[in-house]
Amino acid sequence: MSVEAGHFALVLAFALALIQSTVPLLGTRWNDRRMMAASGPVAITGFVLTLIAFAALTLAYAQSDFSLQNVYENSHSLKPMIFKLSGVWGNHEGSMLLWVLILTLFGAAVAAFGENLPPSLKANVLAVQGMIGAAFFLFILVTSNPFARLDPAPIEGQDLNPVLQDIGLAIHPPLLYLGYVGFSVCFSFAVAALIEGRIDAAWARWVRPWTLAAWVFLTGGIAMGSYWAYYELGWGGFWFWDPVENASFMPWLAGTALLHSALVMEKRSALKVWTILLAILTFSLSLLGTFLVRSGVLTSVHAFATDPTRGVFILGILSVFVGGSLALFAFRASALTTGGLFHPISREGSLVLNNLFLTTATATVLIGTLYPLALEAVTGTKISVGAPFFNLTFGLIIFPLLLLVPFGTMLAWKRGDALAAAQRLLGAAALALGAMLVTGLVSEPRSIFAVVGIGIGVWLLAGVATDLALRAGLPRAGFGTALHRVAGLPRSAIGTMLAHAGLGVTVLGLVGALAFGREAVVAVKPGEQVAVGAYTMRFEGLSSEPGPNFSSRIARFSLLDAAGSPHATIASAKRFYPVRRMPTTEAGIRTMWLGQLYVSIGEERADGALVVHAWWKPLVTLIWGGALLMMAGGTLSLLDRRLRVGAPSRRARPVAAPVPAE
Amino acid sequence: MTRKGKRITVIAGGAMFLTAAASLTVYALGQRASYFFMPTELQAAQLDPGQRIRLGGLVETGTIKHGASTDVFFSVTDNERSVPVSFHGILPDLFREGQGVITEGTLGADGVFVADSVLAKHDETYMPKEVADGLKAKGVWKAE
Amino acid sequence: MVFWFIAALLTLGASLAVLLPLSSRAEADETDAAYDIQVYRDQLAEVDRDLARGTISAGDAAEAKAEIGRRILRVDQEAKAEKGFARFRASRLVAAAAVLFVPVFSWGVYAAVGSPDLPSEPLEARLTKPPAQSSVDELVARAERQLRANPEDGKGWETIAPVYLRLDRFEQAETAFEQSIRLLGPNSSRELGLAEAMVGAARGQISEEARAAYQRVLALDPRNARAQFRLATASLQAGRSDEAAAGWNAMLQTLPQGSPWRDAAQQALGALQQPARPGPTQQDIAAAETMSAADRGQMVEGMVASLDQKLSEQPNDLDGWLRLVRSYAVLGRSSDAGAALQRANVALKGNADAERQLALLAQSLNLLVAQP
Repeated sequence: MSVEAGHFALVLAFALALIQSTVPLLGTRWNDRRMMAASGPVAITGFVLTLIAFAALTLAYAQSDFSLQNVYENSHSLKPMIFKLSGVWGNHEGSMLLWVLILTLFGAAVAAFGENLPPSLKANVLAVQGMIGAAFFLFILVTSNPFARLDPAPIEGQDLNPVLQDIGLAIHPPLLYLGYVGFSVCFSFAVAALIEGRIDAAWARWVRPWTLAAWVFLTGGIAMGSYWAYYELGWGGFWFWDPVENASFMPWLAGTALLHSALVMEKRSALKVWTILLAILTFSLSLLGTFLVRSGVLTSVHAFATDPTRGVFILGILSVFVGGSLALFAFRASALTTGGLFHPISREGSLVLNNLFLTTATATVLIGTLYPLALEAVTGTKISVGAPFFNLTFGLIIFPLLLLVPFGTMLAWKRGDALAAAQRLLGAAALALGAMLVTGLVSEPRSIFAVVGIGIGVWLLAGVATDLALRAGLPRAGFGTALHRVAGLPRSAIGTMLAHAGLGVTVLGLVGALAFGREAVVAVKPGEQVAVGAYTMRFEGLSSEPGPNFSSRIARFSLLDAAGSPHATIASAKRFYPVRRMPTTEAGIRTMWLGQLYVSIGEERADGALVVHAWWKPLVTLIWGGALLMMAGGTLSLLDRRLRVGAPSRRARPVAAPVPAE
Repeated sequence: MTRKGKRITVIAGGAMFLTAAASLTVYALGQRASYFFMPTELQAAQLDPGQRIRLGGLVETGTIKHGASTDVFFSVTDNERSVPVSFHGILPDLFREGQGVITEGTLGADGVFVADSVLAKHDETYMPKEVADGLKAKGVWKAE
Repeated sequence: MVFWFIAALLTLGASLAVLLPLSSRAEADETDAAYDIQVYRDQLAEVDRDLARGTISAGDAAEAKAEIGRRILRVDQEAKAEKGFARFRASRLVAAAAVLFVPVFSWGVYAAVGSPDLPSEPLEARLTKPPAQSSVDELVARAERQLRANPEDGKGWETIAPVYLRLDRFEQAETAFEQSIRLLGPNSSRELGLAEAMVGAARGQISEEARAAYQRVLALDPRNARAQFRLATASLQAGRSDEAAAGWNAMLQTLPQGSPWRDAAQQALGALQQPARPGPTQQDIAAAETMSAADRGQMVEGMVASLDQKLSEQPNDLDGWLRLVRSYAVLGRSSDAGAALQRANVALKGNADAERQLALLAQSLNLLVAQP
């Protein structure tokens, strides 16, 4: 009963999405306020209905209702409850339902929190949002219905792919989708503005919270996914330039560019056309990612089981939305008035550079990801474009951007003084050079990458510190005044600093793990030792332990201190999931200070030895720590009071408010 | 400098950057992309010494041997020819005889392929796409 | 019934979400420009704050405020140009159409894709309903659950073991018989079941362990015909056909006339003396023993292919189909197994018993039959 109620709710939500995509649009054409206003309640009801559908599917998973084909194929009654629930989105159909759930959630959020939006803009935004929703509801109902039934119902399911039975995967897709799909709001704002043909600085202010929110979630999703791959695949790597990873990274890069260009638009009413284009491109890249992951054109660790009809369908959606919005853009862009002028050396100028680098970097990732597909389609030659390509191109393009970040934040709007900015950054530069010198002298083995990497990381962090000190009025102002002034800074300013500091922290983590990491591959028998970096472990032996729906072979290692006595243990395991007849690796990880000791085990050999791959990765946790900082920065900016400009009201129209104690 | 002059400088700078980025990408695609071969194709391929390639096929039954320490030797076959592969490290969980596999590394002068990574997907029904296509083309593997 | 009620309620809610705003009184609202101006006012205030904080100079502040002021002026002009609110008759038509669209469209689509009469089947409820209403699978699952909770329940293992054997779930049957022997002690029927499960799991090959188990059966029950017969078969499989013949001859002497095992022994003896029969002959099997693994695989594939061929020509053969599906499954060719199952379903359509058996087989093999 609940299953079919969910199915019905999904169909109803589709019907409402169709209403939402037509009625408000007609309303703005005819200037009919009621038809515009209908968009809000319809969007919210559509979300509630999708939520009912999602809850029904979740309930079916929780209760192991194998009369649903989707549950039968992806669940098992013995699975722990948390993985039964995360199994809802561990497969294609369920994750598509999550996708539209989040899409309608954002629509409902615009409806609920958008009281400061002009009615016609709001109506158009929700209409575009409704169109995207309608397309995906149709996709789900036609090709990927999670409510398909089995009669008679089997008594046991086929279990979820064991690699996906992990707490990281319980959180990773929802975060990632919140990011991907969050950019749909920016897209809708852009298309709505193009439909109206009226775009000004206020538009940028209205889109900013949505861009920020989507960016924060996408940052979290990518970081989570990277950590998941790191500890679940047992390869010791955290980023593989895998096409599916790239698919989430490209919208992130474009979204970061959007975040920065919208700033210029808001402040100076400049870069309007470019910002609109970026908003369209960012979501288009999200859609492209969805297409790549689900169409079967890619093979990847992360790709879902695929089906060509789905691929064709998503390709259709992709071309309609991307093509349609770009056509509208081409048609309307020339009508947009240009905004404020600025000198090349200015805050605006630096943000333009930021956009230039970020979009070029996005383009190289896009080319690297699509080139093999295109080449194979055209000539039949199969090539793989992997880390060597991306590290070279992406690294070289992003390097100058990282160098310029502290400069940009020092420059004034409109006309900046490059020399003054350089002077202010002298201290930071000295610090960075010092760090490079120390790295070059001390580190072993010495590598250019390590020296430059450490330099960049320190430079970014020192740049942020300089920025903070200057804003606090140091060194002229006293310490107390400085503290007071820092407390008085707008949250968005602090948020920017946090995010830039996060970037520096991530760079340090990458350099630490890549340049200073150590690894060892050895075959050991119980009692023998594994040495990696400065650490020595003793292999204590293997044991078998049953799990709820798997059995595992656990290898225990004792970490030995300088005197040779054990002071900690690390357990690394191989699991076997009998239903799918699949083994998985559970790496043993011990975090020490900022680094991690990572142990992964291989086959047990006939002579009783166990193959062990161990890594010492100094500073590796900073990679994700930096991402957390970026998220914190984004969230703080989101909380800035300036983003909460109220709606105009006849009753009480406040005159420019006096400075509130912030 | 006049305003016009400035604008030209800015545009020229941007164009130079884009050109540099484009040529970098083209260069990297030529140098850093690795080609995919099946064992039979490898026979005819012209490879530079030390060129990284990817070799795909099935793990030939009965050829997996463990050497000293953690060295592993096996052959990758497309049922026409097979190429001996040596690898040092941990094989993926689903590495089995008769399974599709992709190895990446360089072909030594002695004809032994020295792999630094071995990929087999985390899925029981998985056949790497390149391998599946290659085997289908040879008629060795029937599409299901 | 409850479903229809919920569906009606949801439809009502969705329709109201469309109807209410469209039929509400239009409020005299602010113009779009007012919203823009609100933002610019805030920007002005922000410049003031920055000035107070000392982050920008007075000159810059004045410039910025002038720029924002120009934006306000422009928006104000646009606002004057904005046309007033209109309400066409067409919009009333659209409203009516929209409200009607929701129920008509959703019920239409749902009728096409939904299955309103299928109830939800939470596993817990299926395992706790009265046994008389349960299917075999549900009963087995229920017993399994109890055994997981209490693995020392010998009686439970004893009950479930023969069921596994009947369902051809040999590995599980083997475990279950082992457990019942461990907990309740050996007797002839448990040992016999264990041996049969081993043979089933080995696809008819009688291993050393299975042979030992049959011998234990005979020790407990010297007249057990099945064990005698299997031991003779085991001798034949090991290539000792004299010993096999002796075993079967002994059965002919001890068993009464009309016993099925006597007939079986007779047939086996006949086959031994006259091996030219269709299907895998004793020589085939013997040859298979000595072949390499690859050759044996090829031989098995060949036999399956010829069975497949035969069934294409004479499809009305339930046993043949069951064997074919199982063979494909054993060979790991699950999509072929699925296809064979589907062909069988088509070929034997209307034969209720056959359909049930095929469905059972599909379930035990975890095969998914595509819904027609």
